[in-house]
Amino acid sequence: MVDLSVKLCGVELKNPVIPASGTFGFGREFDEIYDISVLGGVATKGLTLLPRLGNRTPRIAERRGVILNAVGLQNPGVDSFLKNDLAWLRAKTRVFANVAGSTLEDYGDICKKLDTMVDFIELNISCPNVRCGGMAFGIKPQSIEEVTRIAKENCPHTPLIVKLSPNVESISENARAAERGGADGISLVNTFTGMAIDIEKRRPVLANNTGGVSGAGIKPIAVRMVYEAARAVGIPVIGMGGIGTAEDAIEFLMAGAVAVEVGTQNFTDTLACPKIIHGIEKWCESHHVEHVSDLVGTVKMN
Amino acid sequence: MYEGSVTVLENRPIAEGIFSLTFATEGEVKVRCGQFCMVGIAGFPLRRPIAVCKAEGERITVCYQVKGEGTAALSRKQQGDKLSVLLPLGNGFFVEEGEKKVALVGGGVGIFPLISVLREYAGSKEIFSYMGFRTKAAVCMRYELQRGEHLVLATDDGSEGYHGTAVQALMEDIDRVRPDVILSCGPTPMLHALKSAVAGRDIPVYVSLEERMGCGIGACLVCICNRTDGSHARVCKDGPVFGIGEVEI
Repeated sequence: MVDLSVKLCGVELKNPVIPASGTFGFGREFDEIYDISVLGGVATKGLTLLPRLGNRTPRIAERRGVILNAVGLQNPGVDSFLKNDLAWLRAKTRVFANVAGSTLEDYGDICKKLDTMVDFIELNISCPNVRCGGMAFGIKPQSIEEVTRIAKENCPHTPLIVKLSPNVESISENARAAERGGADGISLVNTFTGMAIDIEKRRPVLANNTGGVSGAGIKPIAVRMVYEAARAVGIPVIGMGGIGTAEDAIEFLMAGAVAVEVGTQNFTDTLACPKIIHGIEKWCESHHVEHVSDLVGTVKMN
Repeated sequence: MYEGSVTVLENRPIAEGIFSLTFATEGEVKVRCGQFCMVGIAGFPLRRPIAVCKAEGERITVCYQVKGEGTAALSRKQQGDKLSVLLPLGNGFFVEEGEKKVALVGGGVGIFPLISVLREYAGSKEIFSYMGFRTKAAVCMRYELQRGEHLVLATDDGSEGYHGTAVQALMEDIDRVRPDVILSCGPTPMLHALKSAVAGRDIPVYVSLEERMGCGIGACLVCICNRTDGSHARVCKDGPVFGIGEVEI
């Protein structure tokens, strides 16, 4: 019997697999297909203070091994989530409320509303698809530290996970900036900013022109960044970026992630997360690993 | 909900660039007319949303146009090959009890979900079909299209049947047929033409929309359309069938 549970910022998850923000809504639709209480947690659709309609369509495109998305943070607003979805979701599994804002005040206000209500707050400072929000805060170490500090002041009782952008100069420096600002953990990587062109129309496929690149094609870059970030900080790391199988997830654990998020693969296979959980268990059994947490950070450099 | 592997039974061209794919699910799947499935092709991260044309127990037939690398790869699948499929998805078409006469207006690949309507309601409803194609060589599924009371094939170039669009063909008949409801699927310009052609007439019109999709089940908010009240609807979950006045086309 393999112990799949992991401890993240003092909170126990029954396993290290969490569907990534934006690919899973608030979990209700996937729960019609499988019981989502099997998951380690759920990272919610990005929440903002007020409802947002998001970008025009097309919002998604595909290129070899990757997809690009530019949904633009469509969401019903944090109050609607608190009223209509949180109790249901929290009865199922650990809730990572993913939050985004346009100003420092937004981040503070939304964290205040969620403090003590959810298991974790995942601070989205790296959404590439909204003009003034998100990524503006996520590029420079100084602004990462600042937004993290304001968020943490407003959610003193809830573990704060800062989700880092990969579109940066030094992931290690940015990880350290989040730690200095008071983050209880970091998650990475968000999507890479990219573009796909319809050559017949000579126009970008996405209405937003650019979008976030995710999927199997980004995985080696994400593994490297998770490795670098995990070495740079003392707080726990959640790894993500192109995870499609249990073996992919184990790579991230060995690179230093305590838990993993699965995004794009939920589109390829709605049962991706339960399959990955099962696969991790099988792998641990066949490799005589008793606790999945024993794998964390065990990669040995050549 | 069926999520998993299916076996290709047949996959063949039925018109230029159009393929008919029949696959077998493991166990019977109930599909309403107008519902769709997400078809996964190994090596492609996104599944393709494709309307179900026929559902006979474990045998599901979908028809698709080869448009890019994914559908080209799909067109090379052969009998015995496996695909991963999620179905049935979306709301589908409904014909109310009191609606006896149904007009179907289809264009291009939009005819395929309407074939599922013919298969579900022919016999219990009087169905008048107006199906538009570019040209004679594009006409397909003739046998299935003939299931209703009356069929008008329309071609843009006049090479077969009515010379003009499916909407024009409908409008020539509409005062004689007096349909209780109109169901439609086709390219956006056709839906626009239908909307203006029937404006002012007291006939409910339902259209099936197409949009690029992510999850196919309503979670990712990729495939939205605008409701006329300013809010957003998810084409995959709240649709793909909407009242024509309910959404912006």
